[in-house]
Amino acid sequence: MRKFKLLKLLLSLLLIPLCMQAQTRKVTGKISDEKGEPVSFATVTVKGTQKAVVSDVNGIFSIELTGNQKTLVISSAGFEDVTVDVSSTSEVNVTLKAGTALGEVVVTAFGVRQQKKSLGFAATEINNKQLMESKQPNLVNAIQGRVAGVQINSTGGGPGQGANIVIRGPKSALGNNQPLFVIDGVIVDNSTVTEGGNANLRGMSNRIADINPDDIESMSILRGGAATALYGFRGSNGVIVITTKSAKAGKMRVSYNATYGVEEVNKFPDVQTTYTQGYRSNNQIYYSSTDFFPSWGPTVAAAKALDPTHPDKIYHHYARAYQQGNQFRNTLNVSGGNEKALVNTSFSYFTHNGVLPNTNYSNWNARVNAVLKLSDKLQFNPSFNYINSGGLRYNADRFNESLSYWSPRWDVKDYKTADGAHKTYGNNNPIFGAYYNTFKDNVDRMLSNLALTYSPANWLDISYRLGLDFTSDNRRATAPGQIARPGVVNFGDNPLGFVGEYRILNKVLNSNLLVTGKFNFGEKLTLNARAGHDVVDINYNFQQTQGSELDIIGLTTLNNARVITQNSRRTQLRTMGIFADATLGYDNFLYLTLTGRNDYASSVASGNSSFFYPSVSLAYVFSQHFKMPDWISYGKLRGSFARIGIAPVEPYLTNTYYNSAFGQPVNGVNGWTRDDVKGSENLKPEFTDNREVGLEMQFLNNRVGFDVSFYQINSKDVINRVLVPTSTGFTSYVLNSGEIENKGIELAVNGTPIRNNNFTWEVNANFTANRNKVVRLAEGLNEIVIASQFGYLSSGATQKWVVGQPAGGLYGVAYTRYYGSQTDDRVTLRRDLPLLIASTGNLAGFPIRDATNQRLLGNSLPRFMYGVSNSFTYKQFNLSFLFDMRAGVQRFNQLGNFMSAFGIAKYTEDRNDFRVFNGVIAGGAANTQRVWLGMEVGPDGRDYDDGFYRNIHRGVTENFVEDAGWVRLRNLSLSYTLPAKVLAKTKYIKGASFTVTGNNLWLSTPFTGFDPENSSNPSGSNADGFAGFSYPGVRSYFVGINVNF
Amino acid sequence: MQYNFIMLKSQIMKKNFKLYKSIAAILLMLIGFTGCKKYLDINNDPNRPTEPTINGILAATTQNTGLNVFRAANVSNYYVQYFASPNANSPTDIYDRVDFSTTWRLLYDNMADIYDLEQLAIKTGSTAHLGMAKVMMAINLSLTTNMWGNVPFSEALSGKNLSPKYDNAQELHTRCLTLLDEGIVELRKNPTITVTANADFLHAGNRTYWIRTAFSMKARLLNQLSKTPGYSATNVLAAVDSAYTAAAQEAKVSVFTLRNPWATLARNNAALVLDAWLSTNIIQSMNGVRYGYVDPRISRFTDTTRYGDYRGTRNGAGRVGTGTSRDECYLTTNGYYSADAAPLFVITLEEVKFIEAEAALRANNASRAYTAYIAGITAHMNKLGISSGNRDTYLALPAIGVGQGNLTLPIIFREKYIVMFLSPEAWVDARRFNYSYTGFQLPLSALLAQPIRRLDYPSTEQSLNSGNVQQVAALTDRLWWDL
Repeated sequence: MRKFKLLKLLLSLLLIPLCMQAQTRKVTGKISDEKGEPVSFATVTVKGTQKAVVSDVNGIFSIELTGNQKTLVISSAGFEDVTVDVSSTSEVNVTLKAGTALGEVVVTAFGVRQQKKSLGFAATEINNKQLMESKQPNLVNAIQGRVAGVQINSTGGGPGQGANIVIRGPKSALGNNQPLFVIDGVIVDNSTVTEGGNANLRGMSNRIADINPDDIESMSILRGGAATALYGFRGSNGVIVITTKSAKAGKMRVSYNATYGVEEVNKFPDVQTTYTQGYRSNNQIYYSSTDFFPSWGPTVAAAKALDPTHPDKIYHHYARAYQQGNQFRNTLNVSGGNEKALVNTSFSYFTHNGVLPNTNYSNWNARVNAVLKLSDKLQFNPSFNYINSGGLRYNADRFNESLSYWSPRWDVKDYKTADGAHKTYGNNNPIFGAYYNTFKDNVDRMLSNLALTYSPANWLDISYRLGLDFTSDNRRATAPGQIARPGVVNFGDNPLGFVGEYRILNKVLNSNLLVTGKFNFGEKLTLNARAGHDVVDINYNFQQTQGSELDIIGLTTLNNARVITQNSRRTQLRTMGIFADATLGYDNFLYLTLTGRNDYASSVASGNSSFFYPSVSLAYVFSQHFKMPDWISYGKLRGSFARIGIAPVEPYLTNTYYNSAFGQPVNGVNGWTRDDVKGSENLKPEFTDNREVGLEMQFLNNRVGFDVSFYQINSKDVINRVLVPTSTGFTSYVLNSGEIENKGIELAVNGTPIRNNNFTWEVNANFTANRNKVVRLAEGLNEIVIASQFGYLSSGATQKWVVGQPAGGLYGVAYTRYYGSQTDDRVTLRRDLPLLIASTGNLAGFPIRDATNQRLLGNSLPRFMYGVSNSFTYKQFNLSFLFDMRAGVQRFNQLGNFMSAFGIAKYTEDRNDFRVFNGVIAGGAANTQRVWLGMEVGPDGRDYDDGFYRNIHRGVTENFVEDAGWVRLRNLSLSYTLPAKVLAKTKYIKGASFTVTGNNLWLSTPFTGFDPENSSNPSGSNADGFAGFSYPGVRSYFVGINVNF
Repeated sequence: MQYNFIMLKSQIMKKNFKLYKSIAAILLMLIGFTGCKKYLDINNDPNRPTEPTINGILAATTQNTGLNVFRAANVSNYYVQYFASPNANSPTDIYDRVDFSTTWRLLYDNMADIYDLEQLAIKTGSTAHLGMAKVMMAINLSLTTNMWGNVPFSEALSGKNLSPKYDNAQELHTRCLTLLDEGIVELRKNPTITVTANADFLHAGNRTYWIRTAFSMKARLLNQLSKTPGYSATNVLAAVDSAYTAAAQEAKVSVFTLRNPWATLARNNAALVLDAWLSTNIIQSMNGVRYGYVDPRISRFTDTTRYGDYRGTRNGAGRVGTGTSRDECYLTTNGYYSADAAPLFVITLEEVKFIEAEAALRANNASRAYTAYIAGITAHMNKLGISSGNRDTYLALPAIGVGQGNLTLPIIFREKYIVMFLSPEAWVDARRFNYSYTGFQLPLSALLAQPIRRLDYPSTEQSLNSGNVQQVAALTDRLWWDL
């Protein structure tokens, strides 16, 4: 009950307004901005009291003063506060200056606009212009490179493909580490649902991709624990608070946006062009136009001599298999209203055809939101958003794998016969797969949100929000049966044809009550206090019916399947929280904020379902406290500690269950089989301890400034589904499995080197360094495997947690090093030591695979991230560009492994060369043995069997855990706004602008595969160390037009 | 300030009584909610039970015991050369280290269910279910240890240990025998809980047959010791005495979720997903090429090629034709073992007869040996529906009807190779016989100079149970009984 005492105290504080009544007089005035435009909804407060009014649409206000009250404080979002002495006047005209650091306002928890100076934590706001600059259809991708501490990876360039966002490193293992998305005060679903038909490999959308970026006014990225503590455990990975566009009082406004873009794969792997199809047999290399091996045959010239149908050059089959993509977005926004009622509506249509054949995505979006002032004290904000999205998604992992088996001697684009049968020389044609092994999702989503704000007194607001986020996702996977006639080679992925129908219903209900009170104690002391209650109820319903073995081969319906199995699942998760916070301000320079929250979650063991956690933060605006030199315009120190308790967002982990053994009754009996996951009866919540200090400074009248943060985050009792050997009778155990730590530095620098009437140059740069490590693991655990991926000769890579090592550690087989008298710890990769070269045996003269040890070969979590954006405005032109850099990050390139194993990689062109490998032989003497790299018997008469690449190179993970750092020109945008005087003639058009944009125009990376930003795993997955067979990244070009009526 | 506070409170009491009331209501609601523990007590999965029905888990385990025999055979068929891959240099064909993680997992999945069946049977006091659980555990565990040798068992299955240690294979063999003995004891008791006949896919609840299966398994396991000093022909024959006497008693799964799994391979193959191609070795053992006579059973194993004869595929060599032109033989749904409704055998009468023949011969009881040998072939012929005329013609061949004085172990192994078609136990026989079948060839491009003797541990064990898993130096390393 200790927790409730604080709450009660806060609530009783709410009941203590401070005001006095005496004789009154009236003051009226008009508020305008620097351009003379009226500022509506500015708050006019009588200094030292709670008495306040709001200016109307024309910026006019009227307020009653009593006794000796003589000072008004006028504040409005985005402007600096102004203090006006009205002791000798009853009418004032006030001009507000556009926001500077002191006046800057940030949307924080529960959509509350707070002065940035009072925050004891790091927060960054992104506006609509910045979001729209990149033309990224997925909102998450639109923030790439713009915010320190935020790592965003599009998982690939596929239409509608999910994007991954992690703030200040991963903190949890079971959870997805994605921040919480809150739109207009209501939590919305950003899950990536990967159920049904191998959807985990199909680049499914994260649900935020449903949102039209153009509907968004601003996004606040709250990074630190103290910022997000009020949201409860869902906020443990940071919170992104989205404010949508709303109408402005006055005339009706109509705005139309259209963007058209084309795109192409931005990076292909380098392929060899010398050797063609075939392999080795009977001591020689042979050519065969039907051989499984795509590129281990003789030279093109030699093959052409044997086979006149052989093309003059072999294809670059990777480049050949992809095509040009395009996208088109239309948004129409209509808004208007008066002081009593404001309505904003928008409609948009987006369609996208991907670079991988037969992949696409479309999105219809209709949205209406309103502000209705029911009375002076009661405001009602309903909003409703309907979205239809989805498209054809192909399994890019399978596509690229099949493409690697495909011989470049054959044109992969020639994929089917006239009657629609699979056309191939032998191996699966991946393009046939893209057309005849399809998967389509069709999402209907309704986001509705009602907010009621009751302000019985000017110091008190009571608001209630009810949000319902309902998603219906219909997925369908189909493959026709095979056309079985002589000469047709089957397409291996479509056995006898199949149909899968998947129905996913997800309902997120969110109820949220907030009571806010503002108090002044005398002239200097202020108190903002809030108390609240929220409930989240998530209902998830999954149903699948799968049919296989089609009767009529081309009829892909369940009615045509010989075998039908079904599965259904309903899950429910409830959480509830009560919370309170209080910010005590002293004389506008010192702010102390305390928060406390108690969460109740259904997903942990019943004895552990209630948990409390506090936070404290302090902001000290020293530039307000002391007189600073003129060149310092702003300075603030901040520090915070926050603890956040985290319950798993997945229910039913506290028991071990039994599943239906057969998927249907057999022999009239339901079989039962033990589930692969062992539940934890004592599952506890995780706790994340966040420590943060920061310094914000602005100089030279806000022309230059910086914001630096140092943080350390310790995540304890991290819940994990720990993979275990199947001999345990399970594949994984749910465990409170250990502790990981993230610490780092974030630095944001802003500058305006030039600002005059015609020309402005603005620079924003951000830098992040993050280090993480596994601090400890639960008893009985030596390591926790997060994910692994196959590589030939056991050269797969495993991402796992090992104590003392980074959480993104990638492990695998390395080359054996010569240690001499040094000891080998069997984990560290000693690149400084010479390679040990075999001096005996049939691999003498070659480096040695160290197959007995799994060494740390890389880290999937970047050590450094940088973003630099520049914006030049000259009269009506604006040119912006954003460089995005990442360093100290590695990824396993499975594609590279296959390109070695199948002789596709450019470097395998040296296969008929001799080489003396750099290194030493046992004993330490330098290696001098000359070896041939090719297969079979070399010119030296020695039998080299399968050759260097297949015997050794492909079996060494070290060769394929590659530097995935990059420097890229993320975005370049040129826009032109028509001058007002030109438009004045048209009468109707109020504004118009044209934009030309390029994304990913330039990329520099040592990574040899596709764009290393991509991932083999879906968004929301912690397995981010694998970037081989991914949907390739794209370079895109857009033209856009925006017209306002 | 003190004064202000008091004054304010009274103001509110008067002026904003409504407000005060609403705040109180909110406060009450907050506290009220917290008392509502039921609201949060929803973490029991409504879709699944935490405890299965005993017959439901019996259904899963009996079905999967049959399927595990299929899964193990689908590996060993290539080693004993019943099957050959239609693709050249198939890793299994050429003795590469193939990762059989899935086979391993399915064996352990089923053993985990059997473990739960055992626990549930103990908890509910059901002797019949307990007996069946023990017999099935012996079947699955022996399949596992005969492929991999030392494997986890004593610390496995219960979920209590994150990384189960590996038990010695010889001890596991003994453990299997003990499980069978214990199972027999339980099965002989009067059942306390009814076994739903439909839930017992192996014997439809017939405990007498279960006991015969247990003795047949005992005979098989004891016979596996033929190379070891612990071998006792007497013990084998004692087990045989209580083993199968009629085909009706055999442990076999006849009802499937869909169809016999070999039939699925046959259907896939017919639809161009090439699979279940027969090896030159089994074909030449039966089509007259190797021995000069045709075994009539070949027509029940497979169909003729487009040339009207039987042709196998050399292991490692891959197919000769396109795969669609019936150049070589494979399983089809016309075959006895690969028809849609064909039963899937765990252990058969003919195997028991051949075990008897071998043990009797080793015990110098030539008469019993010869009788059992003929009975074994006869049982198999009858099962496949070979006409008595064809059967007797075969039995009368000089190479077959050798007479009791001339029966030798090579003859027994040669003929047992035919009756064991598609059984994983054939690989145990091949290793006991050192692959000394007439004409047995190493696969083309074999990676080993000798035939394979064991499997490498699966990657899941190597990565997740690295502290316990053992290194396999070579796949020619022999298991403990394979001296």
